[in-house]
Amino acid sequence: MPFEVILGAWVATGLTLFILTFLYQDNPLFKLAEHLYVGVSVGYAIVKTYDTVVIRLIYEPMVKQGDWSLLIPLAIGALMLTRYAPRAAWMSRIAFAFVVGVGSGLAIPRVISSYILKQIEDTIRPLLTLAADGGATFTYDLLNPASNLNAVVLLVGVVSVLFYFFFSVEHTGPGQAVARTGILFLMVAFGAAFGYTVMARMSLLIGRLTDLIEYAQPQYERATWWLLALTVATLIVFRVRRKGTEPPP
Amino acid sequence: MTFAERMLSIDRRIIFLVIGLCTLIPLLYPVGLAIKVSPEVRSVYDYIESLPEDSVFLLSLDFDPASKPELYPQAVSLLRHAFKKNLRVIGMTLWLPGTGMANEVISRVAREEGKESGKDYVFLGWSPGGSSVIINMGQDLYKAFPTDYNNQPTSELPVLKGVQNLRDVSYVISLAAGTTGIETWYVFGKDKYKFELGGGCTGVIAPGLYPLLRSGQINGLIGGLRGAAEYEVLIGRKGKAVAGMDAQSATHFAIILLVILCNVFYLLIRTSTRAAEQR
Repeated sequence: MPFEVILGAWVATGLTLFILTFLYQDNPLFKLAEHLYVGVSVGYAIVKTYDTVVIRLIYEPMVKQGDWSLLIPLAIGALMLTRYAPRAAWMSRIAFAFVVGVGSGLAIPRVISSYILKQIEDTIRPLLTLAADGGATFTYDLLNPASNLNAVVLLVGVVSVLFYFFFSVEHTGPGQAVARTGILFLMVAFGAAFGYTVMARMSLLIGRLTDLIEYAQPQYERATWWLLALTVATLIVFRVRRKGTEPPP
Repeated sequence: MTFAERMLSIDRRIIFLVIGLCTLIPLLYPVGLAIKVSPEVRSVYDYIESLPEDSVFLLSLDFDPASKPELYPQAVSLLRHAFKKNLRVIGMTLWLPGTGMANEVISRVAREEGKESGKDYVFLGWSPGGSSVIINMGQDLYKAFPTDYNNQPTSELPVLKGVQNLRDVSYVISLAAGTTGIETWYVFGKDKYKFELGGGCTGVIAPGLYPLLRSGQINGLIGGLRGAAEYEVLIGRKGKAVAGMDAQSATHFAIILLVILCNVFYLLIRTSTRAAEQR
C-alpha cells in the first residue's frame, strides 16, 4: 500500500480519536484536533478559491484568451474591497446593490413559483378523481402518496397549522379544537425531524467507527490500536497532571 | 435518592458508552437484517434504469466531508449504476470544501468500472455562485465551466459531445447536505430548463424535502445512510451502507429504549412527589 495512503489513515484515525475524547471531557487533544480542522478548512477554501476564481475564471480567460470583458465584474467585485478604506467605503455600496438587486431579481419569481405556487397546487389537489366513464374515485391508502386520503390529511394539517399561527382571532370553542389539531401536526413534524436527525448523527458515528475498524487492519500498520493506546495514555497523563492543580470544589 | 432519581442523574458518559457499543458490536459482528426498498429510492433507480445508453447523467455532489458517511455511499452506488448502464456521467459540486472528495469518488468508481476521463465521464469541479452556476449552465455549460477539474477545455471533451446546456441533460441528481443543493437545483434548474431531477440527502434535511417529492418537483429521494443501503441492495452491490444498517438499527433500538426508560423514571418521580405532597 502506498505510503501516503497509510499516512492519511494514521492522520484520520488520530484526529477521529482526538475529537471523540471530548465525550470523556474537554482536553488538549480535542482542542488540537479542533484547531487543526478549522485551520485546514480555511486554508483549503482559500487555495481552491484562488485557483478556481482568480486563476481559472479571471486570469486565464483574460490573459490567454483576451476576454477583457471580465474586467467589468472584476471591477464590481473589487469595489467590495473599498470597505477597508473608510474614505472610499461608500463605493462598496455599488457592489452590494448589484449583488442584492441581481440576487433578488433572480430569486423572488423562481422561489414564489417553486415553493409557494407549486406547493399550494399540491395541497389543494382534488379529493375526488373523475374517471373517464363519468364515475368518481376516492382511494384510501396512507402508504400511497397519490392516495386521496393523504390529500385529506395534508389539507387538514395545512389548514390547522396555519390557523394555529393566526393570532387575530382568539383560539376558543371550535377555534381551540382546530388550533390543537395544528399543534398535533406540528408535534408529529418535529418528531419526524428529530428522528431523522438522530438517524443522521448515528450514521456519522457509524462512518467514523467503520473507518477505525478498517484502519485497525495490518495493512494500515494497525493505526487504530497504536493511536488508541497513545490517546488513552495521554489522557491519563493529563488527568494526573491536572489533579494537583484542580481548584477545590 | 430513589432508584429513578439515580437513573435520571446518571453520568452521561455511560450513555455515550452504551451507544458506542451498540454501534461497534454490530459493525464487528453483523447479523444482516433485511432491508426493504422504499418507493422514493426505487423511483431514482427505475429512472436511471430506463435511460438509454449514452444518455447524459449529471451528478452534483453538493456536500463536504462532514456528511461523507451518509452521502459518499450514495454517490458510489449511483455512479456504479450509471457506469454499468453506460451513461455519460458529468460530475460537479456546488460545495467548495467537497471538491477534492468529489473528484476522488468519481475517479475511483470510474477506475473500478474501467471508464476513461474525458471519454466516459468528466468531473467539472467547483465554480463560485451556487444558484448562478446552475443558471449559467442552463444557458451555456462551457461558459460556466470552461475547463474541467484537470484543466482540460470542456469544449474538446468527447463525453460532452452534443451537450450545450442543461436542456441536453437527461437526468440530474443532487446529493445534498443542505443549501446549496436539491432545492436550488429545482428552483434555478429544473423549473426553468425542464430536465428530470432526483435527490439524495442527509437524514437531517430529508423531512424538508418530502413536500418536493410528493408534488413531483423531484422524482425520487435517497435519504441518509438508510437510502444508500437501499440503493446498494437495488444495484446488487452491497457496500458500506448495508454494512452500517445493523448498527443503525441497534442504536435506534437503544435510543428508543432510553427514551422510554427516561419517561418511566420521570413519571415515577412525579407520582412519588405528588403522593408526598398530598400526605
